[in-house]
Parts: sequence; structure tokens; C-alpha cells
Amino acid sequence: MTYRSLPATLGVVLTLVAPSAAQDITQVPVETFELSNGMNFLVVQRPELTTVSAGWVAHVGSANERPGITGISHFFEHMMFKGSETIGTTNIAEDTRIIEEQEKLQEQIREIYRTQRERYRLGEIEDAFSDDDRPPELIELQARFTELVEQQRQLMVKDEFDKIYTESGASGMNAFTNNDITVYFITVPANKLELWFWMESERLLRPVFREFYSERDVVHEERRLRTESTPTGEFDELFEAMFWESHPYSWPVVGWPSDLEVYTLAQAKEYFATYYAPGNLTVALVGNLDLEEAKDLAERYFGRIPPAGSAPPDVVTLEMPQAAEKRMAASCDCQPQIELRYHTVPFRHRDSYALDVLSGLLNGRSGRLYKSLVLEQEIASDAGSFQDSRKWSGSFSLSAETKGDATPADLERALEEQLRRIREEPIPDRELQKVKNQITASSYQRLASGFFLLLQLLIYDGMGDWEYINEWAANTLNVTAADVQRVATAYFEPTNRAVATYSRTEGAAPTVIPSELEGLPSEVQRQIMGQLDQIRAVDDVNTLKGMLGQLPAQREAAPPPFQKAFPLIERTIEERITQLEEGGDA
Amino acid sequence: MKFSAVVLILACSAATIAQPVAVTTSDLPERPEQLVYDELDFTVPDGNGFRHVLSNGVAVYIAEDHTFPLVSLRMTLRQGSYLEPADKVGLASLTGRMMRTGGTQSMTPETFDEETAFLAANISSSGGNAQASASLGCITPQLDACLGLFFEMLRTPRFDESRLQIEKGNILESMRQRNDDAGDILGREWDFLLRGEDHYSSRRMTEANLNAISRADLADFHEKYWRPENMVIAVSGDVDTNAFLAKLEENLADWPGEGADAKWPPPQPTHTVKPGVYSVEKDIPQGKVLIGHLVPQWTDWDNPDRAALQVMQHILGGSGFTSRIMKRVRSDEGLAYSAGSRFSFDALEPGTFTLSFQSKSPTVALAAKIAIEEVTRIQTEPVTPEELGVAKSALVETFPRRWESARQRASIFATDAYLGRSHSYWQNWRPQIEAVTANDVLRVAKKYLSPEEIVFLVVGKWDEIAPGDADDRANMMEFFGGEVTHIPLRDPLTLK
Repeated sequence: MTYRSLPATLGVVLTLVAPSAAQDITQVPVETFELSNGMNFLVVQRPELTTVSAGWVAHVGSANERPGITGISHFFEHMMFKGSETIGTTNIAEDTRIIEEQEKLQEQIREIYRTQRERYRLGEIEDAFSDDDRPPELIELQARFTELVEQQRQLMVKDEFDKIYTESGASGMNAFTNNDITVYFITVPANKLELWFWMESERLLRPVFREFYSERDVVHEERRLRTESTPTGEFDELFEAMFWESHPYSWPVVGWPSDLEVYTLAQAKEYFATYYAPGNLTVALVGNLDLEEAKDLAERYFGRIPPAGSAPPDVVTLEMPQAAEKRMAASCDCQPQIELRYHTVPFRHRDSYALDVLSGLLNGRSGRLYKSLVLEQEIASDAGSFQDSRKWSGSFSLSAETKGDATPADLERALEEQLRRIREEPIPDRELQKVKNQITASSYQRLASGFFLLLQLLIYDGMGDWEYINEWAANTLNVTAADVQRVATAYFEPTNRAVATYSRTEGAAPTVIPSELEGLPSEVQRQIMGQLDQIRAVDDVNTLKGMLGQLPAQREAAPPPFQKAFPLIERTIEERITQLEEGGDA
Repeated sequence: MKFSAVVLILACSAATIAQPVAVTTSDLPERPEQLVYDELDFTVPDGNGFRHVLSNGVAVYIAEDHTFPLVSLRMTLRQGSYLEPADKVGLASLTGRMMRTGGTQSMTPETFDEETAFLAANISSSGGNAQASASLGCITPQLDACLGLFFEMLRTPRFDESRLQIEKGNILESMRQRNDDAGDILGREWDFLLRGEDHYSSRRMTEANLNAISRADLADFHEKYWRPENMVIAVSGDVDTNAFLAKLEENLADWPGEGADAKWPPPQPTHTVKPGVYSVEKDIPQGKVLIGHLVPQWTDWDNPDRAALQVMQHILGGSGFTSRIMKRVRSDEGLAYSAGSRFSFDALEPGTFTLSFQSKSPTVALAAKIAIEEVTRIQTEPVTPEELGVAKSALVETFPRRWESARQRASIFATDAYLGRSHSYWQNWRPQIEAVTANDVLRVAKKYLSPEEIVFLVVGKWDEIAPGDADDRANMMEFFGGEVTHIPLRDPLTLK
């Protein structure tokens, strides 16, 4: 192994007593080269492995979007798996023709959505995109579109991109998008590195964005899954939108649903030309490979991709200094909790290292937040902090969940008290050393997995500089107690923050078993309780009245144990009718 | 020379027509199938070469790797929640949790946490249904100090009373959140439907159970079941095998195996599964779905059906976009973000065959219909030679990856010892996959899958799920004639 002077440094770095000098920290031996089209390569050779973990980062994320195309970076990530002129179809000419036809129909559909949005603005329909309010011409166009999809499917080799990799023994193919970057990665057997070059250069050189519109439905499902079907998903999105004033971090990575409905293929192609040009991409390879062979393959495969005429636009909008504290009070099916989030600094800012150490002092089982809020005061079941320096700007969060009778307000006071103590009281040497020992150990731990090392290289490169992997530990070990106190003073003013408090939605907890059902077998109880839940969910009074009318006959037919429950069912229906007629829906 | 010149001219002109801007390197293959690869050199490691036995009978698997100054140790014990009294459900897990958080004979909980953090060590312990485990991650120069903490935790946990009260309070808070996430509700009711509410592998701790557990119960459970005779240890990283064995002897040899009988294997479920549709009401825009049934317990690891089932599972729903269910439900129809199937080989109790997905309420029935159609299809039509080839090749080619790190090697062989499986299982693994035919896949699909006897559980808004999609392609009347059992949301603290 070529990890620089590792054995020699151990005695110095790992004695865990004196603060370590920056130059003693282990370095990742990264080889770099650049192609003439501007594409950059990072290589770490790990001959003990039987694989190569390989990936690339596009320096683009949702922060590069604008209103109207929010979510397109993430959508794009999905489209990159749809194949190329060679992969994914048996007849590229016919495939291209069908895609053009589809686009013409979609253009007409988007015109109808323009009208639908106007009808929505005028209050004529409740939802511009609902299936229920579709005009007949839209239904007709969608039917014609479905026919074209069927035609195209006859020519398609479904998910061939995935199949080729799978068959060859590649694994873990995936990608992710965040506010700043889009990362694609996979692990291939060490003897099949050339396959990776073939496949990745192919999808960058001749991509075909087929199944554009069915993939949109998949992304809608992803949004439902992550944002709308989790206890706090919608509020996380709202809080982010509220925290960032002017910066494009305010919209969600997955995009606003109304934008998702109207992206065009032309917009996608323009986006690709702007942000997926070779000069905006960096490849990383970690594993059992030969550097010279990798250079040769890179030149032959990725060297084919023409450079872009100009660099992609910078993100120019800076976050406005915040003038007043912002607050969000949410209610959800969740533990009462609080988050205090402060504006701080972006990736590699000189203060980011002291903020990392601050977070180290606060976090963990022996950290200040857990010790004070969970163990000593017993007002929280959990507490922690999060230092989040992104590419363009950053934030620092303190959060905690309540325990017993404590309220989010109690937690807020306790969290602020911990910040005050950092600012005003000396930080013990041993406590600071504990955090630094953990930093030293993690400088080795994070290298152990080749795949995890790959991800770190791609993420750091995407955020601004992969060399952060070798600078982070050294810079963090140089942080002094005075540095920590300085950043804890500089960034943690109430006017510089947004506060989210969450309370548990009333009635979210299930009702107790009504006395009418006592003594019944628990299975019968559960069935009846389930029926009552159903009744309470009905929104139509006539349906309920119909149910009421059928009750006597059903009671006759019901098995004996159920008989006892009928007065309760009847009462529940009546209550629901009253509730609906009074216009209040719980 | 002439010949080269011609090639060059042709190459240039072709490139000019097809790709006016791009640089040309036209010797690249047109299709990836044309690439030629060197052989990958890989031999399956022999578990017996890693195995050692301490003087008190504990098996230890050690895989050295000196790349980084890091050591990892994990011990696995044959014991678990099946040994708890019925009124103290959660005792095994609370014992595991409190060993790590409740201090030791010589150290208060605060001191233990502080020392562990200062050494930058990761120490944990936990109790599961049929397995307890404790692990240590440490940098080499601090190994002796780390081992000192680890074995003190293992052998003389304090179960500090005031810390126990705090932990119990925190557990109560997490119980209150049992109905918050639809996925948690889905998992809980699924276990209850398949294994009953009282089987050790499905039952959950209630507030009454929590209140009934005392410090003495934890100490007793630890004394009886955290014992060397139940234990196997996996060690990997920057250690010298002989020196490390000596350290283990030092810390464990005076701990003879004389605890209570841990009654291995754990008891089988006696619950009778009732096929049908079950729903739990939750106000979310998707239905979260599990569909499936029990499959036989897997004790014969030489049985070649294992290989045929793995190939079947790969083709049906276990391989992402290459699998049939993902292709149809996600890729063709856009009905779900994730959709697939799973066949579990469980050595201790019946396993499960499961279809899972989540879809917007109106298309739950359609996605389910498609997934079940695929189950039926794999039982009635042989898979294509291409599908068979892709699945077998993928399984065989990814096999070396399981052995990539020293930690994986030690851990795989320790798991063999825990399960009572011969290490030779791994020598036969690839040949058995390579021998699978389309007929084998058809045969095991018929033998092990029963789409007509499924439990179909959905968490979501039933009123929006039942009527099906706007184009009338499927609705919930298609399953069990529209009959459904509505399971009410349980009280999170009593689970009634």
C-alpha cells in the first residue's frame, strides 16, 4: 500500500494525548489527469481488491435550476439510465421518429395545461393536473400518446443499460442528486474496467432520453414516497423553503410538482448540453486497476466527447443577510420536537472547520447535548447538531425531541443554554482532545471501503475540491478552543436563524376500545374498530345515510358477537353525518 | 503501409459524416458484447483456515488485513427474545442495550461513555430475536485499552439503576411514535399476520412489559445467556492472529461455559395464517403494500433448490431494473418508485416470500395485479434462455465481491458457525448456480410459491385505494372477491 508514511506517523498521531501536527495525518494517494476536452480523472489504486468502484460527478444540482424547471437535475439523473442510440432499441431511426411524434403530442398537451392553469386561477377547477378535470381533448391526446408509447415499446430493449451491467457482474449501479451535484456510480469486476468506459462514455456521447413521460410518473411516486408519506417530509420541505430567502436552495431537489408536469424534451437537451459537457464532469476510479491503462482507456473512450463552447453559468444569487428571526409551527403525526437552524458558511470556508469541532463537542453519547438534555435534565429523548456546509452556502442546526411533559420551548431554552456555555465558559482541553482523537481515527476509518472512498472523492470534487479529503483532518486538528468560541459567537444570533417546532396532531393517537366492545374477542374488536375508522373517513352524506338504512338488515344477518356493536356503529355514522352537515371535516 | 493508409482514410471519412465535431478513435467496439476480458483470478477462501478454538470452546474466525491501523471484532451469541418470559417482552433487547449504556463494575455509565469516546472506539451491544451481538471498532495503537473496555462491558455490566430509568423513559417515547410512519405500521401488522401476535419473532414490547422489567431481570438475563458456550467471534484487520488469540484467552478463558441452557433452536410459530386482504387506515397519498406468504424453514444448505430459487428470485423481482416486476410496475407503467420480490431463506423458522411496492392510492390494485401476474407467469412459463443466462452470470460474477474485505470474510464464516452451516456451502455455491436450468426455475416456482394463498396488506386511504385507477384497469374487487379486513390502528403503548 502506498498510504504515505503511515506506519511512521502512527506513533505520533495516535498517541491521543497531545494535539497532533497537521502534517502527520494520513493522506489519500490520488493520481489525477485531465483530457484535452476538459474532463478530469481521480484514481486511487487498491491492488488488494477484486473490483473497481467507478463513478462520475456532474457539477450540477437543483441550485442551478430556476422556477419553471425545478427538479430537472434530479429528473435528468433518472433519464441517464434510459440508454443511447445503440443501447435500448432495435431500431434507432424508428425510435427517433416516434420520440419526435411524442414530443408534438406533448406540446399540444402542454398547451392544454396552460388553459387548465388558467381555469385553476379563475377558480373553475380545483386542480390543474387532476385526472378528474381533464377536458375531452386532453383525454384524446393522452390516448394517442399511449399508442405511441406502445409502438415504441415494440422496438425497445427494456432497461438494456442495466441488463448489460448486471449480466457482467457489475453491482450497486445507482445515482443521486442533491442541491449541488449529481453523482453516478457502480462497482465492476476488476477485469471488466473497459466495460465501464464503454458504457459511461456511450451514455454521455449519444444519450437518448426515451420514456421521458412515464419516468415523470416514477418521480411523482418518489416524491409521494419521500415527501408526502413520511411524518415530517412536507414540513422539512417547507422549512427549507422558508430558511433560504434568495438562494436557490429554497426549492426541493425533487422539484415542485407543477414544474414536473411540464418539462419539455428540448429543455432536457439544453440542460444536458450545458451541464454534462466533459469540462463539467469529474471521474473517480478506486480499486484494482492500472493507472496507465486507465489513462489509455479514458483517452480512447471519453476523449471522443467534444468539449463545450463555454463554461456553464455560475450560481450568482447570494443568500440575503437575514433581517429577522423566522418561525414555523407545524403539527404532525410525530414526536414533539424542535430545530434551530442558523445561517453559516459554505464548504471549505475557513470557519467550517471550527464549526465541525463545535458539532463534535455537542454530539454523541458523551457530547454536551445528550449529556445535558437527555441524561441530566431528562427533557429530551434525543438531541444533536448538524453542520451542513454546502457548495454555495451553509447552515448549522441544533435539534431535539421531547420527553415526558417537556415542551419544544423547554428544549429551545436548553439548546440555547448549551451555546451560551460554549461562548462564555472555557472549553476543557481534554474535551477538545476527545473530539480531535475521533477526527484522527476517522481519517483512517473513512478509507477502509473502496466504494465509500469513491463517494467522498466525487462529493468533495463536486462541492469544489477533492483535496478536501486530505485537508479536512489537518485543518480540523488545528482548530483551537478560541476558534470554537469565536464561531459560536459569530453565527448564533436569533436574527440569523429559523426555528421549527413540531407538535403531535391531536387525535393522531388511536382511540381506546369503546366500552360497547369490551368483552368481545380482540379480533372482532379490531374488525369493528376498523369499520368505524372507515365510516369516519367517508365524505359523502348520502353514502352514510345509505349505510344507516342498511344497518337493521345487516344486524339481522350478523354473527352473534357482532350484534352488540351495532348501536356503536349506528352512533358513529350519525356523528359523521352531523359533522359533515355542519361543514367541519376533522 | 498501403493497408494502414486505407484504414485511416476510411476511418476519417466515416467519422466526419457521423460525428462532425468529435475526435475519432474508431477501433472501439460497436457493442459492449464485443469486448474481451482477462480471466478474474478468484478462489473461494476456506473457512477452516480462519477458524480457531479457545480453551473454553469459543470459536474465533480471524482475517488479518494490515492496510489500515484498524481492528474490528464482533461476537454473535445463540440466544434472544425467545428466552424472555411472556410478560417481559423486550427483556433481551433491553439487556443488550443496557450492557452498553449502563456502565460496568468499575465505571459509571458516564465514565464508560467518556473513555470510549476519548479512545475514539466504537463499542456496541444489542439483543435480537434469535441472536445477540457485541462489537468493537478500534485503532490499533489503542487496541489493549479498547479490549479492556469491551470485555469489562461484556463480563461485568453494572445496569445502573438511574440510567435504566432514563433509558426506559426514552423507549416509552419511541413507542409513542409507533403509528407515525406508515412503514412502521406496515412492518408490524405484517409480522402479526404471518407469525401471530405472540411469537417471539413478531411480538413487540408494550408499556406494561417495560414497566415489569427490573434491574434484577437484566442482570439475571445477562448472567444466564451472555455466555461463552453460546458465542462465536469474528475478528478482522490489523492484528497478528496468534497474539490476538492470546489476548482473547486472557480475557475469556476464566469464563467457563456453565450458564443456563439457551434451548437452541428457538420455537416455531404455531399461528395459522389467514389469506386475504387486510388494510390499515393512514392519511397518506400512497398505499404501502406487502403481499406474500410463509415458505419452508431452510435447514438443508446442500439442497440445490436454493440455487434455483435464487435464480428465480433474480429474474422475478430481486435484481432491480433487470427483474420482471420492476420492469413492468416501474419502468413500463410508472406506478411505483420501488417494486420487487424477496424470497428469504430462514434457518430458524419459516421464511417468507414477499412482493413489496408503494403506489399512489388509485393504482395500488393495478400494481398488485401486475406483480401477482408475474408470480403466476413464472410458475407457468419457463424463463427465457436470455433471462436465465443474465441471472446466473450476475450471481456468479458478483460472488467474489462478498469476500472483498477481511471483515466480510471473518463475518461470513462466523455466521456459518452461528447457523450450524458447513463452510463447504460456499465451495458449492457457484457450481450449484451454474447448474440451474429453466426447468429447475419452473419447478421451484411451482413448489414454493402460492399466489392463491397470499396475505395482502395495505396501509393507506382505503376509500381511495378500493375503487382502483381512472382507466378501470384494476380495483380491489379483484382480490378475494373484494373482501377486506380493516385492521384498526393499535394503541401504540398497549398494541391492542
